Amino acid sequence: MTAVRTPPVAPRLRRDRRRWAWGLGGVAVLGWSLAGAGLFSGPVVNPAGVRQFGRFASAALSPAHDAEFLGVLAEATLVTVAYAALGAALAVALGAIGAVGLARTTWGRRRAGWTVSRSLLAVPRGLHEAVWGLLLLNVLGLDPWVGVLAIGIPYGAVTAKVFADLLDEVPRGGYEALLAAGAGRGSAALYGLLPSAAGGLLSYSFYRLECAVRSAVVLGLIGAGGLGYQLALSFASLRWEQVWAAVYALAALCMLADLGGRAVRRRVAAPRPAGGQAPTRDPLLTGAVVGSLALMAWSWWFLALTPATLTAGRTLDQLGYVLRAAWPPAADGDLLAAVAVAAVDTVQMSVIAIALATASALGVSGLAARRPGAGPGRWALGAGIRFALLLLRAVPPPVWALVLLFVLLPGVLPGALALGVYTLGVLGRLVAEATEEVDPRPRASLRVAGASRLGGWLYGVLPALSGPVLALALYRWEVAIRDTVLVGLLGAGGIGVLLSGRIAAFDWAAVTTVLATIVLLSLAVDLLSERTRTALR
Amino acid sequence: MRLTDLEVRFGATTALAGVDLTVAAGERVAVVGASGAGKSTLLGVLNGSVPPTAGSVRVLGADPAGLRGPALRRLRARTGTVHQHLELVGPLRVVHNVNAGRLGTWSAARALRSLVQPQGLDDVRTALDRVGLADRMFERTDRLSGGQRQRVALARLLVQRPELVLADEPASALDPALADQALELLAGLAADRGGALLACLHDPALALRHCDRVVGLTDGRVTLDAPASALTVAGLERFYGVVR
Amino acid sequence: MPRAARSGGPVARVHRSSLLLIYLLLVAALAGCGRTSPVSDSAEETSSTAGPLRIGAIPDQDPEVLQRLYGTVADSLADALDVDVEYVPVTDYAAAVSLFRTGDLDLVWFGGLTGVQARLQTPGAVPIAQRDIDEEFHSVFVVNSATGLAPSDDLAPLAGLRFTYGSETSTSGRLMPAHFLTEQGVEPGGFPGGPGFSGSHDATLALVASGTYEAGVLNEQVYEARAAAGEIDPSVVRYARTPAYHDYHWLLGPGAIDRFGEDLPDRLTGYFTGLSAEDPADAEVLELFGAGSFVPTEASNYDQIERIGRDLGLVN
Repeated sequence: MTAVRTPPVAPRLRRDRRRWAWGLGGVAVLGWSLAGAGLFSGPVVNPAGVRQFGRFASAALSPAHDAEFLGVLAEATLVTVAYAALGAALAVALGAIGAVGLARTTWGRRRAGWTVSRSLLAVPRGLHEAVWGLLLLNVLGLDPWVGVLAIGIPYGAVTAKVFADLLDEVPRGGYEALLAAGAGRGSAALYGLLPSAAGGLLSYSFYRLECAVRSAVVLGLIGAGGLGYQLALSFASLRWEQVWAAVYALAALCMLADLGGRAVRRRVAAPRPAGGQAPTRDPLLTGAVVGSLALMAWSWWFLALTPATLTAGRTLDQLGYVLRAAWPPAADGDLLAAVAVAAVDTVQMSVIAIALATASALGVSGLAARRPGAGPGRWALGAGIRFALLLLRAVPPPVWALVLLFVLLPGVLPGALALGVYTLGVLGRLVAEATEEVDPRPRASLRVAGASRLGGWLYGVLPALSGPVLALALYRWEVAIRDTVLVGLLGAGGIGVLLSGRIAAFDWAAVTTVLATIVLLSLAVDLLSERTRTALR
Repeated sequence: MRLTDLEVRFGATTALAGVDLTVAAGERVAVVGASGAGKSTLLGVLNGSVPPTAGSVRVLGADPAGLRGPALRRLRARTGTVHQHLELVGPLRVVHNVNAGRLGTWSAARALRSLVQPQGLDDVRTALDRVGLADRMFERTDRLSGGQRQRVALARLLVQRPELVLADEPASALDPALADQALELLAGLAADRGGALLACLHDPALALRHCDRVVGLTDGRVTLDAPASALTVAGLERFYGVVR
Repeated sequence: MPRAARSGGPVARVHRSSLLLIYLLLVAALAGCGRTSPVSDSAEETSSTAGPLRIGAIPDQDPEVLQRLYGTVADSLADALDVDVEYVPVTDYAAAVSLFRTGDLDLVWFGGLTGVQARLQTPGAVPIAQRDIDEEFHSVFVVNSATGLAPSDDLAPLAGLRFTYGSETSTSGRLMPAHFLTEQGVEPGGFPGGPGFSGSHDATLALVASGTYEAGVLNEQVYEARAAAGEIDPSVVRYARTPAYHDYHWLLGPGAIDRFGEDLPDRLTGYFTGLSAEDPADAEVLELFGAGSFVPTEASNYDQIERIGRDLGLVN
């Protein structure tokens, strides 16, 4: 209303310096990583390996399906489900407790306490589930707790952080009013914070369950049983038909978990209208919660877990053995130099992986997103792409690393691409979901004004999408750093080579050093992405 | 622009039924009616975003439902719409949101380039100047107030330079002075290209001041069609009152 | 499974039926406490009973062979010794060693190097027996035909090729080949871009076939088995065979001796060396192991492996 009278001073286009600096920095880091992967210095492709790759790919059409193997898979699937359910349950429990210690609400103005508690999380969070599995295996032996704890501990740390953020994001008015009215902090949080955050907490818990299924399979690769174990055995002798059968079983599990989680999220986002006088419960949400509790009870029974193992004398003996061997960390010059080189490789691998995954995820997001009211052709195309993304993330990264190594020469690149392909499976889905959340009206109005498909997407969707996609990509970057551990073998480089070598030699002191490096790396990436997000907001 | 026996149904609900309406070039038509009477649907049929269930539609000499691909894009580029919810993209700078009005005529490469190095700055500046927002050209759109955003939407139409101007509540977030200015702009825009203006309006006084014809909708049917000169503000208010 | 599957059902009167369901599940869970876990058996162990003898193996064979092999061995061993025998699957070389140390595995079929690692980490562990072929085990170097190399005993030409080992702690896929390369003046950690670790003998074959690695080395027994089955890609050339060395052997942990008595090592050695190709049941076991017979072995047979392992930093 005031603007009409302002004399029209033509403003100049001022680039946001910080955004440009971050953007150019990102491009420079990507270029450095690609150069490190040897992309600009000689051949990286091995065309002769196409036949070996083709064997892997064509086996996708003829997965093993003899009755005996399917029986083995069915039992293995149950083990995987049980691990996933209990691991996710433990994560949510740990997350709920941890969130109290992490929320700004708890600490108020005492920033130091908040910072310390956040950095403490870096250790459980920075190590991959498979690494936790290997460590726990050395302490607990072949106990099913290995699988449950290996999922529960790192997931618990992530969940605690997310829960704390969700709690902190709830508008404070109600909470503070209750405090002012004399309520204790606990009960004020119970009435003033929890109800608003409940939907988000529930949605995220189910999302964790979906992730836990995939992690349970990775754990199988290190010997914790289940689908991953069968997959690892078949993989070691390159029985691709069996590998694919296990991958399809895993994909089906993921799809089930995804469907359940999606139904819950949708209901949380759009609750049923409450009718009548009596308080009613939403049957779907109640069913989901009761069903999950039932699944946990069954898993406990099926895995025959006993808490006694955790405190058994043998467990303590073995813990002592490992700790004595692991402390103090090795610090000889050769090892540190090797760690430094591997750390650089790891960063380059993760950068290439994330760049590839983000670009491709954006590329397919428009088609992978569900669009209500679209024709059957569009639906089929979308479903096909979503299924392809599901397969990309159902095939574990080490398998991708080997099959990509058939067609690429050894170096950082095969590992980076393996991670990139796997991450695309995860990120593609997340970006598609973010696309579904974007307000469709701006794009529709541009199309009505005659904009082409691409133009409508560029001006109507991409700007709204870039914020969430950047946040997702940065989050997956941190995960990719940890995942490089999985594809480290095969001369692919990175810190995973060092870790598996030191573990194979039972050089615990060096293992400590390598693990500390991984934790520091992921902490650094975490801090960097936090700053990036702030700068680009 | 001619509609014959038009009908639009969404599932079981009938949004428009038996609508016959002809608007000649140069006319300024106000569409009035209660919420849910079918005003937005009518505009949707005219810009081709809502397919009619029955009846025939001619817009600028063509049937939007019968066109595909580039031909449809060309027709759409000649029709400009200001939407009730504005449909601006919050995280984009104002200049890009205005330039988005030209996507119908720009190639994809140019659209992409413009996001990095804004194109056609002079036109954008002129358009924003006319709505009084020239100084906000490079601001992010979601940092503007509701009224300023409405004017950005008008500026987008100014650079699009359509022949047929469709407006859905173009003045709802503006103070009276700005509302008058906005409608003058729209009418002038249509007149520039010799086209028509069709605006859904809630304010009877505004409708009578800026339009030369008023069409009233009740439950998807045309229940009023008269020259503005034959109507009074009080009479129009009664029209609303009857429906309410 | 049926219990969990039904849980989505109670919708109408959620309140009471869900409580009932939880109660039923709790009962089921408590009733299931005596159940053995599908992934391990180590949960219940009391001093009054010895429990089963848990056998395992490093995972360097086909999965179905492993399953059949150890199912058969477990049955045969249980009959002969009159104890419960159970096969515990493991997927990882290092995991097999760790589980032997923790006592989760009593009797394990180790490779030469993993056997040394396990014995050094587990005081009181006793080598039981090896196959006749393990006294004279070999590895084979393979090259891709595109290298143009003809079979030879000279390993020096391999130094300039992209080269992959098998698993890092495989005796036949890493340790002994590295040793023989060193003997011929080839730096085992050299090779352009550094050596790869394919993870398994089959992966080594596939990677050399694809040409990603121009040369590699693997277990001769696996190579011969694949060759006999006609599964070796024509682009893979058998280049050289290493001299003989000791490899696989059965290793018994001290926990089992405590539980089953001091004579257990002798009984086990007696069982293995007594397997006869004449007896049909025994013959099946021997055939699965690809052996003519088992022979006794002792720790000193692996001194060379231990020394090389120390040189390569694989034994601490």
